[in-house]
Amino acid sequence: MGIFSEGVEVECAPGGQPLNLLWAGRRYTVCAEPVRWFERRQWWAEEKRAPLGAGKGLVDHEIWRVQVKAEDERVPGASQEPLTLDLSRDIGSGRWRLLRIHDALQPKTAPKTA
Amino acid sequence: MSLTHLHVSTAFSAHYGVSWPEELTGAAAADGATALACTDRDGLYGTVKHLKACMAANLDPVVGVDLAVFDDDGDHRTQLSGRVVVLAHGHNNGAGYRALCRLISDAHARTTGKAGGVVPVAVTREELASRTLDPNTLKPVLTVLIGPDSDVGRSMGGRKYLLPRTLFKRWLEAMPQGTVVAEVVSQLSAPGAPLSTAHAVRMLKLAAEHHVPAVLTNAVRYCEEDGAATADVLDSARTLKSLPELSSAPLLQPTGQGWLKSEKQMVELAKEIIQSAGYGTADLKRLLAQTEALADRCRMDPSSDMGWKQPVVPETTVIGIAGDPLAELTQRCEAGIGRRFPGISGKQEAEMRSRLEHELRIIGNLGFASYFLTVAEVSRMILDMNVRAAARGSGASSLVNFLIDISQVNPLQHDLVFERFLSGDRATLPDIDIDVESAERHNVYRKIFERFGAERVTLMSMQNGYRARGAVRDAGMALGMDDGEIGEIAKQLWRFSARKFREALAEKPELREFAGRVERDFSENQQLDLLVDLTERLDRLPRHISMHPCGVILGDSTLLDRTPVQPSGLGLPMSQFDKHDMDPMGMLKLDVLGVRMQSAMAFAVREVIRIHPSKAEVTSAGSHPSGNDGEGPDYISEDGRIDLNAVPLDDEPTYELIRSTHTLGCFQIESPGQRELVGKMAPRDFNDLIIDISLFRPGPMKSDMVRPFLEHRHGFAPEVYPHPDLKPVLQETHGVTVFHEQILKTFDVMTGCGLAKADEFRRVLGNEALEFKVEEFFRREAKAKGYSPEVVDKVWGTLKSFASFGFCKAHGAAFAVPTYQSAWLKAHHPEAFLAGLWEHDPGMYPKRLLVAEARRLGIPILPLDINRSKAEYRVERVESGEHAGKLGIRLSLKGIFGLSASELKRIVAGQPYDSLADLRARSRLSKPGIKRLAQLGAFDSLHRESGNDANRADLVLHLQNLQSRPTKKGVDIIEGQLALPLGDVELNNLQRGQPAPTMVENVRAELDLMAVDVSEHLMESHRPLLNRLGVTTADKLLGLRNGTEVLVAGVRIATQTPPMRGGRRVVFISIDDGTGCVDSVFFHEAQELAGPLLFGTRLLLIRGTTRRTGPRGISLSASMAWDLSRIETLPFPPPDQNQDSTSSSIDEDQMTFGQAGPLDGIGRNLAITGLGS
Repeated sequence: MGIFSEGVEVECAPGGQPLNLLWAGRRYTVCAEPVRWFERRQWWAEEKRAPLGAGKGLVDHEIWRVQVKAEDERVPGASQEPLTLDLSRDIGSGRWRLLRIHDALQPKTAPKTA
Repeated sequence: MSLTHLHVSTAFSAHYGVSWPEELTGAAAADGATALACTDRDGLYGTVKHLKACMAANLDPVVGVDLAVFDDDGDHRTQLSGRVVVLAHGHNNGAGYRALCRLISDAHARTTGKAGGVVPVAVTREELASRTLDPNTLKPVLTVLIGPDSDVGRSMGGRKYLLPRTLFKRWLEAMPQGTVVAEVVSQLSAPGAPLSTAHAVRMLKLAAEHHVPAVLTNAVRYCEEDGAATADVLDSARTLKSLPELSSAPLLQPTGQGWLKSEKQMVELAKEIIQSAGYGTADLKRLLAQTEALADRCRMDPSSDMGWKQPVVPETTVIGIAGDPLAELTQRCEAGIGRRFPGISGKQEAEMRSRLEHELRIIGNLGFASYFLTVAEVSRMILDMNVRAAARGSGASSLVNFLIDISQVNPLQHDLVFERFLSGDRATLPDIDIDVESAERHNVYRKIFERFGAERVTLMSMQNGYRARGAVRDAGMALGMDDGEIGEIAKQLWRFSARKFREALAEKPELREFAGRVERDFSENQQLDLLVDLTERLDRLPRHISMHPCGVILGDSTLLDRTPVQPSGLGLPMSQFDKHDMDPMGMLKLDVLGVRMQSAMAFAVREVIRIHPSKAEVTSAGSHPSGNDGEGPDYISEDGRIDLNAVPLDDEPTYELIRSTHTLGCFQIESPGQRELVGKMAPRDFNDLIIDISLFRPGPMKSDMVRPFLEHRHGFAPEVYPHPDLKPVLQETHGVTVFHEQILKTFDVMTGCGLAKADEFRRVLGNEALEFKVEEFFRREAKAKGYSPEVVDKVWGTLKSFASFGFCKAHGAAFAVPTYQSAWLKAHHPEAFLAGLWEHDPGMYPKRLLVAEARRLGIPILPLDINRSKAEYRVERVESGEHAGKLGIRLSLKGIFGLSASELKRIVAGQPYDSLADLRARSRLSKPGIKRLAQLGAFDSLHRESGNDANRADLVLHLQNLQSRPTKKGVDIIEGQLALPLGDVELNNLQRGQPAPTMVENVRAELDLMAVDVSEHLMESHRPLLNRLGVTTADKLLGLRNGTEVLVAGVRIATQTPPMRGGRRVVFISIDDGTGCVDSVFFHEAQELAGPLLFGTRLLLIRGTTRRTGPRGISLSASMAWDLSRIETLPFPPPDQNQDSTSSSIDEDQMTFGQAGPLDGIGRNLAITGLGS
């Protein structure tokens, strides 16, 4: 159950906005002011239980759209294009996942792994 | 800086809001807020609760509404442009609140009050504009918040630039200066979506562009984040669409962020919006300051703005009194003395007069004289309408009420204490309840509106909350589950709150199967688990308001400034406030309760006079005493009319009937438990009846008061009094404390506190926080008066435990009057009484049981007949056959499935008919309608008269064939022209050929179309099976020893799960087998064994042991139950030794008894068994 997408590790500022992330073994730095919003979940299909008082994050999850640059300075031709990523944070568990990767033209959905 | 939430829906926004007012105020206060708004959708449904909660939490209430607005350009009756929030300004002596009430009433004025009406609750912009200014000062008293759900907010999607501006300008042009603000909301949805920060920014900029203040809200629907899921389910219930459907529409809330965010979170939110807008700190401050400025303008003073706790009664001029109301009341009481106490003198008169002075003094001190005069006016108006009326409740304790004809009970005779009703220590208006004939209730309401004027009267409403069955249905719908499956589950839910669903799954035997599925299907069907959770979430949430069954609110000419009203289903206006709101809002509520028994009795009296139109005939038919002059009793007038209220309360045949326990149909004493109690107690006089009714309450039954009482009463054990001083107080109940009045007197005797104080003490009993003070006082004062510590201990113990089980004797006395009157009618005029019961169906049982009762009493049940049956049941003298000369009851044409009210009217208007063609032509009855009447035998006599020898089945077939042919234009009858008396050619030429319908088929048709078995008892056809099983009939039980094991069988008639001592559930199931009722009780183990049969079956076979309960009472302690219609499961006794093996014999039994019974294929569970599904 849940959204089948890639897990990422994210380091945040005290206010909650992402600063760095570790994705597929590489570190990225957020290089522009991220945008945050919330999106619905199909909780009735994704969850087994929804007891009264189950708390936060049943109905929506937090989305951050970030622009990141790879940190690795050793790679030659260092002026890499920044990547735009949509990350989701599960409000209940605090876990981060990568939802979408945008390139210059159109967003690519992260590969689903069932 | 504080930030006030100005847009908050409570749970009283039905199918929308999630949280209760006290949860919201609690959270707001904990966060340091100083005020909180309640802006329910469409009305002030939660406002008074909000006020109360705010006062408790020390917050200033802000009051408003979330209203839909009609589209100026669209169809004015149906098309909406969006929703706005309207807040009332405070501290203006109610000008804001008044405008709000009137505005909301405007919004409802065009609706019908009926479910499924097409006109929505909404106002036009013009109405809104006209209400925003106070008509006297022309100053703004309302503020309209144009927010995300308004036409302006809704037009912000896409990248439209012009539309939102145009729409916003139209608002500004239409509304008076200073009455509009922009409502900025972000629930942090995806950029560009509704409720996104981007939209909030646009609204903010729009406001700045037009120099209109902007305020920040969070459009709150739930107190905490957890409520978002409940809100989803409510959206589903409101729109009747499943969550998957809503999600793809998309119609669900875009995020789950609509909770009551803390001040800190709201300020963060504001910062985020300001930042996105590219604004600076000054703009942030302005947004927050404008929000607070509006909040400040809208802080309400509950007392000066809304009339908190200030009782208002109609102006005395309305009831025709110019002078001092107390003088008028005193004078009317004087006038009543001659009527109520003819010839009173001496000590009795002195006692009566001192009581009257005492009551009038208290009434005068409280200033309630005009209240009593108002109630007396209503009461007199009802009696003038010739409608039966009786006061109920503690009002019967008042001599004033007795003298001015509000009550029919003499409080002196029954030793009723006035202070139980009203005392100087209590400043709230007392309750006076008036029972009237249910069939006349609506007429009485209309008359009250007429009498007092529509501006002073409105009906009270009631909130209907989710209970287990409704909750599981709506939760199932939200999950998109199959209707049938949900129906099956809902059927098993029996009287527990939805919140305890999961707990119930673990405990209740009838849910075992479902619980198993929840466990088992865990992997493949997670829905069942979610279903349980969502059902629990819906528990108790309000679903809709409806007309309260009896509350009428009376006020002065400002009533409609103090409560919004909306049409009730009845057409009369109904307040949006419920009974809990009355006292806080100073509203005088009169309970005018429709009591079906009053209608049934009025009907019976009319039938008696119709059949026996003279005093002599009635006296002889009812075996009444011959009276002083030998011509019959005084309570029967010359034309045969019985004055029930004048019947003396000492009629021996009536008490004999009650003691026989054959009390089906009698008010208050027909339930299985009451039949058992009257059997044990054997009432001898009216006071016994009062005691009986008072004992039969959950409290006394639960706390085992009844057994010691009966033991003392029957002299099995000596009466014990804690102290001789208390003997006068407790003597009538043999030393057992039963009545509130006895508690009051006990307090008074032992402490000398006076009765008024005593009643205050009584009210505190059971209140953990305050009871100890009463105890202290009692112990100290009783000790001071010289009572020993043992006596004090013992009496305090009784008083303390009393909290849960006492009953007001005045209530008991008021109830006992119709109880006695109904038993009197059953004893003397059973045919008329049963006809009245069938007509008005007053009791707890399905009607078919009362038909069975007539059969048991040997009263002929006369079949449906197209020429003899009317629109009501009628007593009729039987002309021929075995019952010739007896009085029987003719079935009514009313209540036949599929027969409309207008068809019924036309049939009766056209009677008699000489042929089917005549019937068709004049009643214009539908073809299926005619066929149904034929199935019920309504044409049997017409058919016989025609001389044709075909049978009922032939006729039904003929009509069935006609049904499939196209309708020919009916023969036009010219007014005044007589049809030729040709006889019925159609019936005469009917073809024979069908086998006559069997009894089982006839009874099945009756059950199907009338929910009553008429031709014979529905168990009759099962008799061979019952004999084979060795079943004992109800009439034989009384002859058995206590503890005999028996099998009984019958159709379910009552199912009850009263609260029990020790908390373990006990299920009472009563069945009727045609010879009488068998009342069985299922304790824990039997429930475990019976499982789903407990609530799911109609025909039951029960094994149990007899329990003798009294000289005339016997019941059954069940050990096992079977579904009689599942032949293969029944415990057939082994065959005789010489016969074949058991198995083949059981097969044989299945062959023999496996045929369909009368109930096969018949739905209508509720009507037939009293247990709905």
